Amino acid sequence: MRRVLVAVIAAVAAVLLLAFSGALFGHSPIALLAILIRGSIGSRFALEGTLLKSVPLLLTGLSVVIAFRAGVWNIGGEGQFIVGALAALAAARFGVIASLAAAILAGAAWASIASLMRLWRNAPEVLTTILLNFTAIHLLGWCVNGPLRERAAQYPQTDLAAAALPVVGGVHAGTLIALAASVFAWWMLYRTVEGLRLRATGLNPNAARWAGIPVRSQIVRAMAISGGAAGLAGGIELLGVTHRLFERFAAGYGYSGIAVALLAQLHPLATIASAAFFGALVTGAGELQRTADISAGVATFGQAVVILVLIVFEHVRSSR
Amino acid sequence: MIHLAHVTKTFGATRAVDDVSLEVRPGEIVGLVGENGAGKTTLMRIAAGEIAADAGTLEREGRAELVHQHFMLVDALTIAENLALTHRGFRFTTRRMIEREAQQIIDGSGIELRDAARRVAELSVGERSKLELIKAIARKPATLILDEPTSVLTPTESEELFRVMRRLSAEGTAVVFISHKLPEVLAVAERIVVMRGGRVVVESATSETNAQVLADAMVGSPVSRFPGIPVAGQLGNRATGQPGRGEITAIVGVAGNGQAELAARLRDELPDAGHIPEDRTRDGVIAEMTIAENLALKTKRWSPRDAARHAERMIALYSIRAEGPLQRAGDLSGGNQQKVVLARELEWIKSPSSALRAPSPRRRGEGLSTGTSRVPLSPRAGRGWREAPGEGLHLIAAEPARGLDIEATRFVHEQLRAAATAGASILLITSDLDEAFELADAIQVIYRGQLSEPMTPAEASQRVASLMAGVA
Repeated sequence: MRRVLVAVIAAVAAVLLLAFSGALFGHSPIALLAILIRGSIGSRFALEGTLLKSVPLLLTGLSVVIAFRAGVWNIGGEGQFIVGALAALAAARFGVIASLAAAILAGAAWASIASLMRLWRNAPEVLTTILLNFTAIHLLGWCVNGPLRERAAQYPQTDLAAAALPVVGGVHAGTLIALAASVFAWWMLYRTVEGLRLRATGLNPNAARWAGIPVRSQIVRAMAISGGAAGLAGGIELLGVTHRLFERFAAGYGYSGIAVALLAQLHPLATIASAAFFGALVTGAGELQRTADISAGVATFGQAVVILVLIVFEHVRSSR
Repeated sequence: MIHLAHVTKTFGATRAVDDVSLEVRPGEIVGLVGENGAGKTTLMRIAAGEIAADAGTLEREGRAELVHQHFMLVDALTIAENLALTHRGFRFTTRRMIEREAQQIIDGSGIELRDAARRVAELSVGERSKLELIKAIARKPATLILDEPTSVLTPTESEELFRVMRRLSAEGTAVVFISHKLPEVLAVAERIVVMRGGRVVVESATSETNAQVLADAMVGSPVSRFPGIPVAGQLGNRATGQPGRGEITAIVGVAGNGQAELAARLRDELPDAGHIPEDRTRDGVIAEMTIAENLALKTKRWSPRDAARHAERMIALYSIRAEGPLQRAGDLSGGNQQKVVLARELEWIKSPSSALRAPSPRRRGEGLSTGTSRVPLSPRAGRGWREAPGEGLHLIAAEPARGLDIEATRFVHEQLRAAATAGASILLITSDLDEAFELADAIQVIYRGQLSEPMTPAEASQRVASLMAGVA
């Protein structure tokens, strides 16, 4: 209960700070707040926009939840998101399901490169996954400028994907997949031996090893599952929203997943609410840009505030 | 000088310290004994000013230093750096200066601890406790409070500690010695205070009391707590040094002679065996998880309901004092955490999937090598075990009763003996010689990574001391 309270305080603090920092530049905080709310949940159009942003955030958030629960620092959501989308594009002609499966596998494989580097050279995941992000970003840049460039050769982007997610009730089916994924993640973490051992490994790898848990392979698996979730996010974004790839395709979803997971206190079901909040924040920030001429980048500022507030609370709690 | 009057302290629903008055005078050694959870540590934390009492008064002259049962050291730093943390103000310095000063502090304390440039992470538990002690002594306290200091020390090290205690007391320092081990307290303390259930139940000059009286006071009922040296079991063919079925082999030695490496090696070599780690708070339980979850770590299937039901049974069977299966393991006392580990490991080796249920004739010539081979064990021995887990060890218990009270210690020992009777072969790695002699059918000494020949307890009683000191 206290954890929920902390998360709510962090979220409210982020929104208020965002609005009041506008005052420094001559805006009325109340007016900014109104724009944020109107732009994120004020209309059907706004709500759809929020939902659209929330889906990839939910999946990259889950990706981080699983990795952090296992005690492994997967900061590579961005790269796994991109390779997931690339694989989805390549496999799209075999249908939606094959395409999404390819996205999951590609994300998992990309994350596993970091695991291999850990096993062979003991390279820390926190570094290798970030470096793999840059690799993926440049891979995408090369693809859309080179081999995968659209046939019209007008923009640095690919042609439309050969498959698309069906639309159910005004939103693409990826929404349901993401919701199902968070239920699955909850089930996996709290209702299976795999989840029990994964959590044990994250909480105390020493004790886990003494209890006979193969800690290394546990971490490798968690990393793959985590990468798979981020890859799926990329695949769904491609097949449900953008339908083609371009250089700024990932748009920071991978990194934002960290804020989503932390606000959710690493709980898979709370991640749904957390992703919705950040989805609203990003969408509302877009409205700020359009009507108040404030950069939509303030959404990133909001994420930072959330993380800082959570860290402060965590510090207060642990130092008591 | 410390004077506590009518001190009371409550944690949640439990009254840890209940109307206790106690005086500690300069230059005297007071033994504070009692079972786990009797309130000894809480009382001394109040005396040292670490926590505040709910009621009552505290008068204190000079500084009081409490040396904790759990280590308060920075693992990533060296011995010298850890000492510098407590003893230096902020000023520019060099590694050399810090190490030189550390050496002076160590020499001044009269405690032996070599090479101050070693990282704490590399130290044995015994060495860490020495460092804690040095840290405390160097602050020149008027009162020195030692919480279970001997639980990780060998007899020789304990003797060394007692000498330091006597010297400090001769210099006017008041020493409070918290312990479960009555013989030690009787040997070193001038006055003994027994606590039970948060109250002082006996306070007496050492010369006017005896072990039986004190033990009865600790437990609350007159029971015989001191069984003699047990009858040595019949020695089987133990040329390889590996216990046969139903036997317990104890490996004794001064901490830091390879026991930790041996236990870790066996953990990796024998995933099918049960393992009780030496450091239960770090390696035994996962503090953030519930008792039910901790007990389920080795199971093949997991559902919260089944795990809770299983935990209910284990809590009853192993008399774990807990609120219920969903209590966090980290909230349990040390003794009850150990019972959780014991329950998990013993139930594991009893389970159908483990080796204990599938007896097969034991092959000779595989197992712990002796004589000249060193720990880590020879690869051949390791391979032998991996291929045939059913023929190797069932349980490896490292310091299973360390820091436990009489009741819990007896319980752990009974469980180990029962497992052996049921056919388990058990390796007991311990620095407590009493424990080794009480439980083991055979005893081996580990010294600088080498194992001695196995001995019968009778044989061992003659030779153990010199083997442990490396003079044999």
